[in-house]
Amino acid sequence: MNNQPSSKKFLAWFNPLGRQPGSWAFILSRITALGLTFYLFLHLVVLGRLAQGPQAYQEFLALAESPIVKLGELAVIAAVIYHGLNGIRIILTSFGIGVAHQQRLFYASVALALAGTVFFGIRLFGG
Amino acid sequence: MTTPSSFKPVSGPRPGETAWLWLIKIITGPLLLVVLALHLIVNHYLGSTSSGLMTYDDVIAYFQNPLIPAIEILFVVVVVTHSLIGLRGILLDMNPSRRVLSIITWLLALLGATSIAYGVWLALVIASKGP
Repeated sequence: MNNQPSSKKFLAWFNPLGRQPGSWAFILSRITALGLTFYLFLHLVVLGRLAQGPQAYQEFLALAESPIVKLGELAVIAAVIYHGLNGIRIILTSFGIGVAHQQRLFYASVALALAGTVFFGIRLFGG
Repeated sequence: MTTPSSFKPVSGPRPGETAWLWLIKIITGPLLLVVLALHLIVNHYLGSTSSGLMTYDDVIAYFQNPLIPAIEILFVVVVVTHSLIGLRGILLDMNPSRRVLSIITWLLALLGATSIAYGVWLALVIASKGP
């Protein structure tokens, strides 16, 4: 049966060759979903410091100013914009809207995510 | 279902994902974008410092408006629900047996309920720290 899992198919996940744009849209959506889910729980745990009082929270703010954390935040921004726009595209096409343009809508999602990343990257790192 | 043969939905519930879960996921998605935009604007543009991060006092002051804990609680419910239904969808691709799937579903539901309870608790604690 062609729809049964096998270890060979698992390795095929990592083969970048011969993919259609829709496949890339799906992969990016997956990766951003996993990243954002990880971020969500990290965010919830870290904000627990607010319950511990001003000093605990202040320590976290100091950490949030470090370049590595800022880089992580920029990745979250990029992921949110792409995942959100691509999600809208999927919902629209699920209801038969814009199906003929879905490839262009995917490229537009990527372009806007890149533009947003550059914009907020400058805001985060531009002093 | 009686869809005409010319119309083939491009996306829909995954195999093993009920239509209800799928519907919740696509309703919470756009709702999230709205609440998330609000959340980001408030947290990064309305604080008292120019760094874009709210100080402890900013956060406490912000939570004194009862609308704010209400919005943040709505946010945590919606975002946790969306992310865990999505995670379940990804795990479905590993083709789990019915038994494993039901364990996954229960674990995710437990994680979701715990996270939401924690989020509500945190919002209320922050709101209660006001003057």
